[in-house]
Amino acid sequence: MVEGGRETNRTGSVMTVTVKSFATFREVMEMQIVLPFPEGATVRTLLADLTSRFDRLDEQLFAAPGTLRDFVNILKNGRNIDFLAGLETSLEDGDVIALFPPLAGG
Amino acid sequence: MLQVTGKNERYRRQVDLVGADGQAALGRARVVIAGAGGLGSAIALYSAAAGIGQIRIIDCDTVEVSNLNRQILYRTGDIGTEKVTAAAKDLRALNPGIEIEPVQTRITAETAESLVEGADLVLDALDNYPARYALAHAAWDRGIPYFHGAVHGMYGQASTIIPGQSPCLRCIVPSPPASGATPILGVTTGVIGSIQATEAIKYLTNRGTLLLGRVLFWDGTRTEVEILSIQGDPVCPVCGGVS
Repeated sequence: MVEGGRETNRTGSVMTVTVKSFATFREVMEMQIVLPFPEGATVRTLLADLTSRFDRLDEQLFAAPGTLRDFVNILKNGRNIDFLAGLETSLEDGDVIALFPPLAGG
Repeated sequence: MLQVTGKNERYRRQVDLVGADGQAALGRARVVIAGAGGLGSAIALYSAAAGIGQIRIIDCDTVEVSNLNRQILYRTGDIGTEKVTAAAKDLRALNPGIEIEPVQTRITAETAESLVEGADLVLDALDNYPARYALAHAAWDRGIPYFHGAVHGMYGQASTIIPGQSPCLRCIVPSPPASGATPILGVTTGVIGSIQATEAIKYLTNRGTLLLGRVLFWDGTRTEVEILSIQGDPVCPVCGGVS
């Protein structure tokens, strides 16, 4: 199966997750991409996939390996992962993940 | 105070939309515009033009030449003047039938409570989150609607927060960016400030559907708008995660 330009070879159930980006994140990744993940995948899995696809995304998202920058907001179906299980928040088929850096200027 | 009558030519083109009752509601309204920068300029000009009766506009800065690409309340001759003083002069010239209360101060946790006192709503035209959180919290505690907006470059965001009907600002933006000067194209503040003023006018005239529990994202580089529904923190000490 070819998704998003990368070949995947999954066994078992495959979930489909839609990722949307906003504001300046759109300058380093697609504004929307649909990706397949195996059962058990988490937001951490998803971000690893995204940073492997988009070269400049890693420095936008992470302050250090595994540590998100303070201003990175990630929503799973509208709820911030800070209110769920953070990077370990599990993904489910049909999830919509939104990535946005809040804007501050006035 | 202006009377809304058939003779009121100033508002004739909008009374068809909001009704005489809606126009009267605007005339009675007391609003706080927090920040007299780019967002504040668009919000204040449209609020005054629409006939919002009492506008308290708050800022601690003076006009600088670098403000003038976006802060359309000001003219080159205003450089060096307190923003709220120059803003009040401009707004009174636009609409002498409304009351403008300029307040030269910095918004902090200490000042926020008194600044929102007596307001029917608060419009967020600030440029940093410590002030936004302080103001939004003070408004929330008093049951006062808070109309959030923020910009960066050609991107903008807006959301309408009403206690009991939407998540609070901290639930919408739990992880804010650092404060500091950001690139801003003037029209971006015009777009987002206009959306905030639209929301406030709709609220005051009880018309339309508000951006409750939703964040509008404006992408000026693509000329696209997307609206995301946002749910709060289920254990948020402020709002309890109202969605």
